[in-house]
Amino acid sequence: MTTWFTIFLCGILTFLTRFIPLSGLMPNELPLSLKKSLKYIPVVILTPIIINSLSIYEGTELYLLENNKLYAGLIAILVSTIFKNVLATISIGMLSYVLMSNIF
Amino acid sequence: MSRWKMFQEGVIEELPLQLGVFPFGIIYGILAMESGLTFLQSFLLSSIIFGGASQIIFVQLISTSTPFGIIISSVAAINSRHFLYGISIREYVKHLSVTWRLLLAYLLTDEAYAVSIRKFNNDPNNEFLHYHLLGTGLTLFIIWQISTLTGIILGHELPQFLELQFIIPLTFIAIIIPMINSISFICAALSSATTALIFKTLDLNLWILASASIGLIVGVTVSRFDKK
Repeated sequence: MTTWFTIFLCGILTFLTRFIPLSGLMPNELPLSLKKSLKYIPVVILTPIIINSLSIYEGTELYLLENNKLYAGLIAILVSTIFKNVLATISIGMLSYVLMSNIF
Repeated sequence: MSRWKMFQEGVIEELPLQLGVFPFGIIYGILAMESGLTFLQSFLLSSIIFGGASQIIFVQLISTSTPFGIIISSVAAINSRHFLYGISIREYVKHLSVTWRLLLAYLLTDEAYAVSIRKFNNDPNNEFLHYHLLGTGLTLFIIWQISTLTGIILGHELPQFLELQFIIPLTFIAIIIPMINSISFICAALSSATTALIFKTLDLNLWILASASIGLIVGVTVSRFDKK
């Protein structure tokens, strides 16, 4: 039940972020600081999620060495910086992870 | 150009992007089923939320038993970029009926916006521009439903060793790296990453929101030093 409630609430919020600007209820010009902040949102939300998925925790201990996910993630960051291509980043990142996990 | 022609143009211009959308949808479907959501929840999430990154964040957080308040605020935060899309197209749609605006708002996703905004900017006086966005949006909607359903059904068939969960960080890397194009973005990313590591080590549940807030403050503060 709580899961359904969360799904619907997320759905409503998502729709509102898309509809409010088209609703005619907003002021014509948004404050510059708000516009500026919105640009950073994807980066500051997704980076912690990436870091969390690439890290290995045992309890609250953090393991950075001997962590194939971290190395494969770094390769993916490099590929994305050079090629700026979604499919290349995902496939090379995944391939390096599978190779490292099977070799080491 | 007639309504129908404009709609067709939207559909045709949107199709090439589906090469990237389809695999992304399949991945979502697989992850949704792995996260513990039911078949119906996994499938309906694609029409209730209808946003790739939000849906993947949703299932990732739900699979790690994150409190619902944090899931909701994370999804809301990641969606806030749609605000900017809405602001940039509102001039073109303000004369339309509420029904039209409700429909276009629902279909206003990254990929539909990216294609239609080019048309809007190049041909601003055309009276049927909204049919273009209807074409791009509906195409994406249909492909998204098919691809996520494929992932949901296919999910059980795939061998466990593939560790498909790892596709999540890779997809997010592919999304954000091209956005990081100035010192302020680098600082925002690094500070949110460091905060996440510290908060996780302290076993604090608020790590996403804390990291995002600190990243945002650092990014905006440093932005005054960006090259104009």
